[in-house]
Amino acid sequence: MVSKESCRNEIRAAIRQLSDRCLYSAAKWAGEQLVGIEQDPSNFTPSNTRFQRGSSSIRRRFSTISTPQPSAGFSQPPATPLPQEEDEVIDGDLYLLAKSYFDCREYRRASHVLRDQMSNKSLFLRCYALYLAGEKRKEEEMIELEGPLGKSDAINRELVSLERELSALKRTGAIDSFGLYLYGVVLKEKGNESLARASLVESVNSYPWNWSAWSELQSLCTSIEILNSLNLNSHWMKEFFLGSAYQELRMHSESLAKYEYLQGIFSFSNYIQAQTAKAQYSLREFDQVEIMFEDLLRNDPYRVEDMDLYSNVLYAKEACAALSYLAHKVFLTDKYRPESCCIVGNYYSLKGQHEKAVMYFRRALKLNKKYLSAWTLMGHEYVEMKNTSAAIDAYRRAVDVNPCDYRAWYGLGQAYEMMGMPFYALHYFRKSIFFLPNDSRLWIAMAKCYQSEQLHMLEEAIKCYKRAVNCGDTEGIALNQLAKLHQKLGRNEEAAFYFEKDLERMDAEGLEGPNMFEALVFLATHLKTNKKFDEAEVYCTRLLDYSGPEKEKAKSLLRGIRMAQTDFPSMDMEHFPL
Amino acid sequence: MAGLTRTAGAFAVTPHKISVCILLQLYAPSAQMSLPFPFSSISQHNRLGLYLLSLTKSCDDIFEPKLEDLINQLREVGEDMDAWLTDHLTNRFSSLTSPDDLLNFFNDMRGILGSLDSGAAQDDQIILDPNSNLGMFVRRCILAFNLLSFEGVCHLFTSIEVYCREAHSSSAQYDESNDNLESLIQHDQMDMEKYIMDKATEEVELQKNASGRVPFHLHTPEALFKVTEGLLVTRKEKSRTNTKKAEATQLACASSSTVDDTLVDESLFLRTNYQIQGFLMEQADAIETHGSSLSSSSIESFLQKLQNLAPELHRVHFLRYLNKLHSDDYFAALENLLRYFDYSAGTEGFDLVLPSTGCSMYGRYEIALLCLGMMHFRFGHPNLALEVLTEAVRVSQQHSNDTCLAYTLAAMSNLLSEMGIASTTSVLGSSYSPVTSTASLLSVQQRVYILLKESLRRADTLKLRRLVASNHLAMAKFELMHVQRPLLSFGPKASVRHKTCPVSVCKEIRLGAHLLSDFSAESSTMTIDGSLSSVWLKDLQKPWGQPVFSQESGSRKSSTFFQFCDHLVSIPGSVSQIIGASYLLRATSWELYGSAPMARMNTLVYATLFGDSSSSSDAELAYLKLIQHLALYKGYKDAFAAVKIAEEKFLTVSKSKILLLKLQLLHEHALHRGNLKLAQRMCNELGGLASTTIGVDMELKVEASLREARTLLAAKQYSQAANVAHSLFCTCHKFNLQIEKASVLLLLAEIHKKSGNAVLGLPYALASISFCQSFNLDLLKASATLTLAELWLGLGSNHAKRALDLLHGAFPMILGHGGLELRARAYIFEANCYLSDPSFSVSTDSDTVLDSLRQASEELQALEYHELAAEAFYLMAMVYDKVGQLEEREEAATLFKMHITALENPQDEEPNMA
Repeated sequence: MVSKESCRNEIRAAIRQLSDRCLYSAAKWAGEQLVGIEQDPSNFTPSNTRFQRGSSSIRRRFSTISTPQPSAGFSQPPATPLPQEEDEVIDGDLYLLAKSYFDCREYRRASHVLRDQMSNKSLFLRCYALYLAGEKRKEEEMIELEGPLGKSDAINRELVSLERELSALKRTGAIDSFGLYLYGVVLKEKGNESLARASLVESVNSYPWNWSAWSELQSLCTSIEILNSLNLNSHWMKEFFLGSAYQELRMHSESLAKYEYLQGIFSFSNYIQAQTAKAQYSLREFDQVEIMFEDLLRNDPYRVEDMDLYSNVLYAKEACAALSYLAHKVFLTDKYRPESCCIVGNYYSLKGQHEKAVMYFRRALKLNKKYLSAWTLMGHEYVEMKNTSAAIDAYRRAVDVNPCDYRAWYGLGQAYEMMGMPFYALHYFRKSIFFLPNDSRLWIAMAKCYQSEQLHMLEEAIKCYKRAVNCGDTEGIALNQLAKLHQKLGRNEEAAFYFEKDLERMDAEGLEGPNMFEALVFLATHLKTNKKFDEAEVYCTRLLDYSGPEKEKAKSLLRGIRMAQTDFPSMDMEHFPL
Repeated sequence: MAGLTRTAGAFAVTPHKISVCILLQLYAPSAQMSLPFPFSSISQHNRLGLYLLSLTKSCDDIFEPKLEDLINQLREVGEDMDAWLTDHLTNRFSSLTSPDDLLNFFNDMRGILGSLDSGAAQDDQIILDPNSNLGMFVRRCILAFNLLSFEGVCHLFTSIEVYCREAHSSSAQYDESNDNLESLIQHDQMDMEKYIMDKATEEVELQKNASGRVPFHLHTPEALFKVTEGLLVTRKEKSRTNTKKAEATQLACASSSTVDDTLVDESLFLRTNYQIQGFLMEQADAIETHGSSLSSSSIESFLQKLQNLAPELHRVHFLRYLNKLHSDDYFAALENLLRYFDYSAGTEGFDLVLPSTGCSMYGRYEIALLCLGMMHFRFGHPNLALEVLTEAVRVSQQHSNDTCLAYTLAAMSNLLSEMGIASTTSVLGSSYSPVTSTASLLSVQQRVYILLKESLRRADTLKLRRLVASNHLAMAKFELMHVQRPLLSFGPKASVRHKTCPVSVCKEIRLGAHLLSDFSAESSTMTIDGSLSSVWLKDLQKPWGQPVFSQESGSRKSSTFFQFCDHLVSIPGSVSQIIGASYLLRATSWELYGSAPMARMNTLVYATLFGDSSSSSDAELAYLKLIQHLALYKGYKDAFAAVKIAEEKFLTVSKSKILLLKLQLLHEHALHRGNLKLAQRMCNELGGLASTTIGVDMELKVEASLREARTLLAAKQYSQAANVAHSLFCTCHKFNLQIEKASVLLLLAEIHKKSGNAVLGLPYALASISFCQSFNLDLLKASATLTLAELWLGLGSNHAKRALDLLHGAFPMILGHGGLELRARAYIFEANCYLSDPSFSVSTDSDTVLDSLRQASEELQALEYHELAAEAFYLMAMVYDKVGQLEEREEAATLFKMHITALENPQDEEPNMA
């Protein structure tokens, strides 16, 4: 187990180094983790305790599960030595000027100031500033060159020269880990993924505290094979990386395990908490997620990151008031964040004002064209508005942003089904199921498609419903449908089996309803015809508890049973008033 | 969704347009003089004017020439003042050092325009009429420039820099290459090809100007024609000096396809939607025409580029789908098809969507289903395809899209007729109402007929000429292959006579070909627009080295001419494709009815005239027919050589026609050479290609078992052969394959003949003849007659006279249309008849016999048919013996022996293609 103190020292040094190189988001991330480490009680200072959450509800509620001891197999990693800062006296002044230019977002100026500086730090800052300048220009050009057929392919014009310079540096070995990070980013932009991956791996192996490098690397790991093939030194930062990579690859329980382990050290990290919530959300543990987010907001009230997820949870729980409160809060914090727009969109959607919802999702997409969940949610809105072709367009864009988004695939299938094209829709359902094979809802959707009157492929529908049952059908549709389908196909034994199971389920969940009557009536009749009178009678008496036509049916059934039991020849009932 | 309008991105200032403006300034300087400075004569001045006119015309293309290309063209046009022109052009460009210069430049441009009410212009002043073509061009440029924001001006400025830099970097190369042509070819083919293209452009431009047939020339005054005539002469002189260059370029041309390098051309500008759509359509045609021979990766890279430039142009996905479809990548094709329809809802760029019926709310997803169905069909999933098409029928009915319905029904009938689905009742019966009532009673063929009729009716009312035409062709095919009988027979009294009707086939084919006369009536604005903007491009793509190329491959000889006519009268490619298909169908029908020369002629007509616009599968079929013809009439050596060529042209995937043909030829060849093991293997392989589902791939299955029976027959296993043939006959009967029945009956007769059971064979032969008669299969009938005659002779020599009469009755047909084998058989049989006729004396009349035997032996040697050849030589030797010509007798005997040994030891030196 890594000692907390050493972690803390590592991060402290790293934050300084990262901000020296103007890698601000990595520094921010590291800072969050730094205060996430549990303080030694011995050197508590009042200023530190502000960030501690020892008394928060989350600690109390989940104290039993949140502190598993890490396994013994995890040995202390060989400490990666902190790189010593080189002597900055020589180019110190120019560097300071450049950094302040950089901080004022005058990137070209910054890189110009550093044009002849040879130290690693200045070199990196120069290249990085150049890269950012190119990115900024690219964004501007994209707007300027926007044509009738969409955006033009504006490119970062600095990439070529940067690649040339960095690769030359790499060949001579005069590149440090930050340079390698930048080289990786440039290669990735140029589409050379494998080389980019190699460069990033080299970077994080020599300097593991740069979270930006890790996240770039993670975005390049599109399959578990690639992830496993990476040759990474073990370091606690690697655990963070694996956690997030597993999450992207939809291996939620593995990811949760990683975060649980990390919580042993970084017990108060907001980041870990948010990530855990994300994983739990994917596992559909909405209650738990809600509590976690509430807690997160209490400690970090101006946080906007990940709040769209929270709003999804609130949406699913139909908590209008809470959702509006959240929307208001993030809007005051930063209204031009895609997350904020998305939250407002969710709110309007919940209120049934779909046009307004679409407007806000559109705004979110204007801010970030690759914002996956906004595309999907917009698709849902269009479906609600019965504008199927717009919905299909939105879903398709979501799928093109991330082909693993099962929600969008499912939405596509649904939209096509709505248009009366069940066979066409099947392909999309199949796609969606491929990415999430354990979700009964998807299986049920597919089964409904097969069951539709146009296709009428009942055998296939039965297979799908069976899969749904095996996946733990939460809504209880599958069993009932299975029973009905079997009944329709004249397989009474199977039908009885599934009706019985369905009945068991309803009893266990304490549900009642037409499905129950149906099951009881069928079972009673079926057992009666099979001369299992005792069991049939049990079902009949259960039916007698309810009012309505079923009661009458039960009565007549019972009469029939009695008659059959007493071996009377068939006689008119009216002669034997009960 | 992309709201595509016609005006979007209509006209943008580009560096190329600025060059044209600079030249225009030269052409019409605002100064007052009758002949501006550099020009030495009026004709020179006018030549530049004409050149500029064609440049402005071509400015609407999707590709723009680079500065380098422009300079090269100027060299040709400018003659002695070319250096001055190019210098001026480059100087003018290099003087544009800041955005402000651009602003001033366009201000100056105003000066060369006369005022709109320019009646008062002085005579000796050259002023552009603002309403003339050139004037309009200048005005549009100025307007477009004035509309630019400052950012736009900056972008224009940077692109001018790039434009000039490219020219500088390559101009040095050009000078060098001009000195040394040898090094040029080795140096850089790409550059050379661009150069060729320019020359082609120029040539066509000049031709256009001269001929005056091109529409835009209508505006040019009469005086200009005279100038152009002179211009043409000088051009010819020039070309003579350039012949050396041209030779070099032809080499470069042949080595790589021209489509490739236009595709990877860097200078791609985005223009109006219609141009792009037209261009994409053209690419789609190219994909279809060239099939798998077109390198799919080059198209892919081009599409990628286009997609980057215009992410909202969804048609790119469709092109990618087509490309993947033709390179047989199922998953990518499916993915792209779905993506295209998801994005565009089928409303972008489909010319079968009539604007009047456009409903944006629901999209046009039925077209997606139609395409998906056809894709499944192509990839060999007939059942899936049928499901999808059924859904397409349902959805198009729901959205009352009759056009799509008509197409879907046609696709469905095509699917059914090609594949023959075993159990369609459930699918069709449940969904399609006109079929429902009768579905259970009908065979597949009848269903095809109903679908076709329905599709034809709809297409007719909707005035979809192309669909009508192709439906007529499908109908003709149906009439050709399937036996007419009342569709629904009521009771026992209904006529049950089976027959085919060549007249109706002919009628349908002719109706189909009517399309040529009235294709223009179809209301598809897309096609017309698209083809207009791509005509120019087509000319660009045309390789300059056409003459050399066409000498090499005869089939393409007149293609240039036709292509040229093609865009002069602007027949859409799809129309010529359908017309071409009608010729192929004619060939097929002649084949069936038994006229080999007519079949060959029609195929050749197809290959020469329509080879360029045909789809790859049609072209494959044409090749197949020609090769079959070769095998039948010229022997195997030629045929196999041709197969080699065809294999290179068409990628052999499983079940391709060429593969089938090869197996057939190999089987045939092996049978003739007596290599029965190989024959058996080929036959099995052929059978293995067919699907295992009952009722699917019937033609292939019948073919395979027919060949199996023939192999068994050759192996003298008569009873097995007869068994196979019997069961085959039953299958044919079950699936209503009437025409195949005739040949099976003939085979049965043959088997009985070979087994020495002539009496048993007679009824089969007679039945076969009567079948042939009612189905108009003349050649088959002749061959059945021959068999009948052989059977008679088999009954004893006293029937020789009757047999001879029969034979002579069939002789005209056999000699006129029959293949080598049939003819040889007839000849040998004739000799046999004479020899076995007691009243015939060999010694007096030996020449009659010897002539036919000699004829037969020659033909058999070409075929390598050892068995019959041995027989012929044996008879020859006997006759010579009788006549007493010993030397000839020995010769015939050795040849006989040679063939017998060859037959007994079938060498394994099979053609190395197996």
